[in-house]
Amino acid sequence: MLPSDPILRQYQVEQFYYAEAELLDDRRYDEWFALLEDDIRYFMPMRFNRGRREMHLEFSDDRQSAYYDEDKESMAVRQRKLACGSNWAEDPPSRTRHLISNVRIADGAVPGELAVKSAFLVYRNRLERQTEIFAGERQDVLRVRDGGFRIARRTVLLDQATLLTSSLSIFF
Amino acid sequence: MSAKTPEATRDLVARVFDEDAGKIQGRAYTDPDIYALELETIFKRCWLFLAHETQIPGPGDFLSTYMGEDPVVVVRQKDGEVKAFLNQCRHRGMRLCRSDMGSKARNFTCVYHGWVYGLGGELVGVPLEEQAYGKVDKAEWGARPVPRIVRYKGLIFGNWDADAPDFLEYLGDAAFYLDVLLDRSAAGTQAIGGIHKWVIPCNWKFAAEQFASDMYHAPVAHLSVSMSVKPVVEEEQVDFGHEGRQFRSDRGHGTGFFVGAGRRQLLGSFVGPEVARYMSEEGKEQAVERLGFVRGEYMHAQHMTVFPNFSFLPTANTVRVWHPKGPNEIEVWAWTLVEADASDEVKEAYRVGGLRSFSAAGIFEQEDGENWVEIQRVLKGSSAQDTWFHIGMGQGRARTDDPQFPGTVGWVYSEEAARGFYAHWQKLLTHPTDPVIPQNEGTCTGETCHAAE
Repeated sequence: MLPSDPILRQYQVEQFYYAEAELLDDRRYDEWFALLEDDIRYFMPMRFNRGRREMHLEFSDDRQSAYYDEDKESMAVRQRKLACGSNWAEDPPSRTRHLISNVRIADGAVPGELAVKSAFLVYRNRLERQTEIFAGERQDVLRVRDGGFRIARRTVLLDQATLLTSSLSIFF
Repeated sequence: MSAKTPEATRDLVARVFDEDAGKIQGRAYTDPDIYALELETIFKRCWLFLAHETQIPGPGDFLSTYMGEDPVVVVRQKDGEVKAFLNQCRHRGMRLCRSDMGSKARNFTCVYHGWVYGLGGELVGVPLEEQAYGKVDKAEWGARPVPRIVRYKGLIFGNWDADAPDFLEYLGDAAFYLDVLLDRSAAGTQAIGGIHKWVIPCNWKFAAEQFASDMYHAPVAHLSVSMSVKPVVEEEQVDFGHEGRQFRSDRGHGTGFFVGAGRRQLLGSFVGPEVARYMSEEGKEQAVERLGFVRGEYMHAQHMTVFPNFSFLPTANTVRVWHPKGPNEIEVWAWTLVEADASDEVKEAYRVGGLRSFSAAGIFEQEDGENWVEIQRVLKGSSAQDTWFHIGMGQGRARTDDPQFPGTVGWVYSEEAARGFYAHWQKLLTHPTDPVIPQNEGTCTGETCHAAE
């Protein structure tokens, strides 16, 4: 059940995000993948430099390509890849820190769901000195499940047009 | 760092690659003078990929891209033609167009002082012209045009050299292999929207060479993919085959591929079961009709580079340019191509299959970046730059009488195409005034011009 008290609801959602970030940063990937609902869409559209009159086209749409556009099955491929022992892009693994803030909660489209926007800063450092900082916005649909939250949809709006990384092998 | 004279740089280029010995020296990938020479004598003389026709479908639609390090704007004209010009105002050199792309532009206005250019780059307006200048000779001061544009089966290429050889002669026998990507269907191809752009701190030649010549890395670098992707047919595991060929061009291009068994299985591991089904059924049938058995069905898992920096994987249909950004960095610009008459389901399968496998977050591409980055980091060392690398795989084994495949052809696991790539690279850098393709009595020779026939 969702609490009716908005302050309590805010607290619970933020605590969920902190716990989720801990799973990613501690590389407890199997536990993180378990937070994804079976109908998950994990989506990170591309972003373009366009003139102001074309700002409605700033992000790629559903018919265009994307940085990530994943369902449960393709996320399972990525989960197996992380665990397989020859995943050279994350072996040795990156060091990451996910900072989540600016959490704004609205009722979801159906009872039992929340529409949550948040801001993130993700720091990534790997190998000797490769360092990247990603900033952006998450737009989530969270579903109440087993006394906690699950992620039914995550749209990640990255604040970059050219990806400033040699490989995107982490999650947001 | 003191710059070498052009002569000293050419001498260095002549030394760093020894084809007969099958070795190349690390500084080929790091030397700033070699890089400057590459921009001048390769990227200003070779045909460079600009855009797919469907990326600029209508009048005034444009795409900003690069030729070497030179920014250019590629624009669909009102009459349907395509023009490209240097993205630089002729007044103070400001970047004219700062959007990645756009539609229905009427002109390009410089935001510095307001000089206005038409869709072909012609100068059409100068603020305060009469009062401040009297008159500006507009025919003289248009944006610098890319003098040669060619449209080939959906792709648009440009060349800074007005005297460059025709595109089909430039391709030579490589056209036979390029058409596996472009000519599978009478309906032609289209680009799925959105160009992936990401930065890899490595020399551009590592990427171009790998797509020309390197099937060898796949079973090792991409081992995690075969361990993670479920086989299309459950009882068959993904297996990198051993029957295949590699083609070496005498003009720098290269390609390699498997033949026969494993086609559906491998393609399924690359971009998913629906694409593999399509390429084993209706997509195969029409390709066999147009291209014949060898190119329509027998060849698979093909990788290819058109010299210098345009690469792609036919049937997996990822297409990309390795834009050089200094000797130690590239930007990858990658997108996915589909047959225009494929079903919506197949196009969607290509869309998600392409981005999940061949992009910065792609389960294949993640490892490619890792390798090239670490090679380049190691090459900061003086000893590392002096080190010779083995590039002699398959030396002396290629033949020119393969009944099925034109040109110089060796085994799929070979570096014949890499040696061809670097031999051409070396020739263009050391003989900057010679024609960029082999000549005999003024016509292209060596390889037959299949596509022109």
